[in-house]
Amino acid sequence: MTPLPPAQVEPHPWRGLAWLSRRECHRVLKLWKQTILAPVIAALLFMVVFGLSLGNSISEINGFEYRVYIVPGLIAMAMAQAAYSNNSSTIFQARNDRYLDDILSAPMPAWHIHLGYLIGGAMRSLLIGIVLTACALPITGAPLDHPAEALLAVLLLTTAFGALGIIVGVYAESWDNQSFINNIVILPLIFLGGVFYSVSRLGTPWEQISHFNPLFYVVDAVRYGFLGSSDIDPLISLSIVAVITIALVTWSQYLFSTGHRLKP
Amino acid sequence: MNTTPAALDVKGLTKRYGDGTLALDDLDLEVPNGSFFGLLGPNGAGKTTLIGAVCNLVRPTSGDISIFGNPGGSMMARRMIGIAEQEPNLDKFLTVYETLLYHGGYYGMDGDEAGERAEQMIDAFDLRAKRNVEAPKLSGGMRRRLLLARALLHRPNLVILDEPTAGVDLELRHELWSYIRVLHEQGTTILLTTHYLEEAEALCDEIALISGGQIVARDTAAGLKYTHGVETLEEVYLKTVAGGKIALAEEAARA
Repeated sequence: MTPLPPAQVEPHPWRGLAWLSRRECHRVLKLWKQTILAPVIAALLFMVVFGLSLGNSISEINGFEYRVYIVPGLIAMAMAQAAYSNNSSTIFQARNDRYLDDILSAPMPAWHIHLGYLIGGAMRSLLIGIVLTACALPITGAPLDHPAEALLAVLLLTTAFGALGIIVGVYAESWDNQSFINNIVILPLIFLGGVFYSVSRLGTPWEQISHFNPLFYVVDAVRYGFLGSSDIDPLISLSIVAVITIALVTWSQYLFSTGHRLKP
Repeated sequence: MNTTPAALDVKGLTKRYGDGTLALDDLDLEVPNGSFFGLLGPNGAGKTTLIGAVCNLVRPTSGDISIFGNPGGSMMARRMIGIAEQEPNLDKFLTVYETLLYHGGYYGMDGDEAGERAEQMIDAFDLRAKRNVEAPKLSGGMRRRLLLARALLHRPNLVILDEPTAGVDLELRHELWSYIRVLHEQGTTILLTTHYLEEAEALCDEIALISGGQIVARDTAAGLKYTHGVETLEEVYLKTVAGGKIALAEEAARA
């Protein structure tokens, strides 16, 4: 076959972003058993074991049966972990196997590359959220009282944890680093952020200490969206989650803009 | 007077890595538009760092890079370069077809154009039987073909081949070079790094020798041999690039 001569065209401004987002979604769907099914089953097991089995022996919290009360926190937890683990693993793998070079050398602005990865993590996280919501609401009878606030809260949540995943994926030296952050930092903070209880029941000083946990505001904002009930004013929790999101996105964008640790 | 901008114009390029290693030391290099240019040097001379800096994969410490008159790292400069790196760095989640399709997308092609071009490259590089096979399941030779197909897919003006025939059998090497030769005849500038000196001599219009992060000699193969008063390019290489080491080794042997 005769090769074609060089093309004389300007790079299309948006197509690179669209294709990178598509590649990230392609990866999520290709590995759906690992990326979607496993976290959905894990969260549903929490709902069944803690909510339906043990829930009958636990009194109501803020006027809600226990099995209903834990649903928003478990959905938030599954979505946060999905966004984080998706982006940390996809970035680390691309760095480690060096196929990230194909993207870094392509005519795409740094913020397109950043956004492409964020979209991949958000897609996985939102798919899990939708499936869990569709399963959990009929099973537990949990309401969705403020869908707009719930949507805003989960969008901030997926963006924040997606950005955190990118940051860890960029800094990680091994696969262990990512699971370390997930198991030693994110998971404990989520559990201590009130997934299974209301922090207002903790009493002084633990209630006040819980307010230093950023994950408390994430869980509380999502809970307000579903149940219309929260430990603090939802405007405050959403504002704090927004500030955390902006800080993490700024950091991850900095990494792509400067090439820090991505390019020697 | 030729006013066409050089395919690659590097001025005062320096790269010092975080550990203090000086990989490029105030390097100047101009690769003319339309040339088949060879870059030779030992491991650690700075070839891959130079290529990385040109392709937006390494952050230069200082210096300027220009691609056909466009600033290095700009969208247009990146669009005009195709690179086949030394190590097969293929996306493990994608098949041969998808690797090419997505690469076309990253470089701004729409789905139809990228798909059509991917099929052309699959035929051109004899990858049809492996079209739906994922990269990790390909043999070394097939991966090398796919790397080259990917580098050429978006029809770049400057193709950078970093030791493209390392570990490749003779048959494939000849196939690749015949394709690259035609590509060059059609106006594509080729920058080749290789350890096969006879390959560089046979293919390249001009050759630069790099050592210690600097260009130490540059001319046609015939010009280099004439200047250094030797018969072969290997002797030029030993005298210039490896000169110090060879002299020391000979001195040690005599002692």
